[in-house]
Amino acid sequence: MLIREDILTPKERMMALLTGKPLDRIICMPIVTTNLAQLIGKTVKEFQLDGQVMADAHIAGFQKFGYDLIYLFTNCSCVAEAMGAELVYSEDEPANCEVPVINSREDLSKIKVAENNDGQLPVYYEALEILNQAVGDQVFISVCFSGPVSTAATLRGVEAFARDTYADPELCHTLLRMATDSCKNFIREIVSYGAIPIILEPIASGSLFSPKMFDKIAFPYIKELVDLAHELKALIPLHICGKTHKIVDKMTDTGADVISLDKCDLMIAREKVAGRALILGNIDPANELLFGPVEEIHRICIEAIDTMKGYTPAFVLSTGCETGNKVPFKHIQAMLDVARSHGLYEYIKEN
Amino acid sequence: MDKETLFREISHALVEFEVEKVAELAEQTLLQNIPAFETITEGLVTGMKEVSRLFEEEEYFLPEVLMCSDAFNAGLEVVNPHLDKASLEKPIKMVIGVVEGDTHDIGKNLVGILSGASGFEVYDLGRDVPLDRFIEKAEEVESDMICMSTLMTTTMDGMKTVIDRLIERNIRDKYKVLIGGGPISQTFCDKIGADLYANDASSAVRKAKELMGRV
Repeated sequence: MLIREDILTPKERMMALLTGKPLDRIICMPIVTTNLAQLIGKTVKEFQLDGQVMADAHIAGFQKFGYDLIYLFTNCSCVAEAMGAELVYSEDEPANCEVPVINSREDLSKIKVAENNDGQLPVYYEALEILNQAVGDQVFISVCFSGPVSTAATLRGVEAFARDTYADPELCHTLLRMATDSCKNFIREIVSYGAIPIILEPIASGSLFSPKMFDKIAFPYIKELVDLAHELKALIPLHICGKTHKIVDKMTDTGADVISLDKCDLMIAREKVAGRALILGNIDPANELLFGPVEEIHRICIEAIDTMKGYTPAFVLSTGCETGNKVPFKHIQAMLDVARSHGLYEYIKEN
Repeated sequence: MDKETLFREISHALVEFEVEKVAELAEQTLLQNIPAFETITEGLVTGMKEVSRLFEEEEYFLPEVLMCSDAFNAGLEVVNPHLDKASLEKPIKMVIGVVEGDTHDIGKNLVGILSGASGFEVYDLGRDVPLDRFIEKAEEVESDMICMSTLMTTTMDGMKTVIDRLIERNIRDKYKVLIGGGPISQTFCDKIGADLYANDASSAVRKAKELMGRV
């Protein structure tokens, strides 16, 4: 495999895409986040609570791989935490909310709409400041956070939330409203740092809720976030974990600029998104990327690129979800190697 | 209402998750001296079978299954005290839990609900279950199956550890080992020598029955 050196920086490459200029290779953004703590000998816990550690880990990761986006991410519950949920931080796992804060309507007094400095959100701002200085001229930086459904479900407990969708829709929508307003405050702050807000909705997954329910509990609230980002002149991707083949069209209807997919047939995605957004995905981080071998990773990445050949505005080679601590770094490198060999374009540098 | 109509109505109300109606109809079966065993197998379980089918066909999802299971339990609560235990077929016993280090239990709970509603005897160990606990409990209740789930790549190796320990103790053949969860795949199942992998709760129950020779 002939691996060519990049000609453009990741930022130049993205700008070329956005302005309709030629690219030197396919865009490649594996979702590499908390697992980078290992690169600098720190724990996932330190990464989540110290902006300097988060930034240092990401600088090391970017220098190692040269991928096209830095994903700042701590855990799926950081917005819920900022609203009043308590998380359990373990050394090598993203923090998790084990006991829901809302067990009845009376508990609503225990939470509030998060302001930009609540919970551990300032950790992101510290990291953004350092990263903007260090690598901001070369690469775009994003912040991933759980959207309204996943945040509301974290506050309430997923099963209780699921029952509420029928048994107590009013409580359900009260939580969704507060979660949406919290996300909006966070988005404003993220955009003020020049970063890209990425909505994660692991709980709004097509593995858990019907397309009909998606229309009721997810779509209007996610669309509100997308509209806000657009008002602020920012791009906003939407990532949904698990199955999405039945909601990928609805995801696109929200107006999100990038549709980030996990377990979804790319042929179906290609047909449903139909040029309305970038499609990002979807190498399984728990199968080939975890177990290898490298040749197999090459094969499935090439297959994804070939399936999406000619898709406009663009297909972005990425993982279906975040890469865990146990995914070997050489497997992430294998994805970039494919981008730098099989994903090349005929490119003539101007001047 | 004759017996068959009542059973049909119970199944129907259950599938539509009309909790109170299921309980009312169950009361009616008692008034008509219909054996609890028949109401359970032909009304409630039949309803849950339909729920499983709808789930597997992606018509029903998590909220619907939970609501239906509430309706199932409401009916069960009414007739259970009148159940003649001798009329029951020997149930398949299953020990189930989320492996140590992981607290994501939605998938496991769905498998537990659907298995229980299909006549399995379910021993739910909960989440973040110490690996030896699966074996201890299986030995204690003379289980037929050990079912393990996880949503995280960091904890999936725990499943292999459980299987290795069963082998070390020369009791691997006593149990069928079923695994599932987000990062689990057939590849992983083959790799660690588990008996069965299922990628969703409904097929898990169907495949588990097939594996035990009960279709």
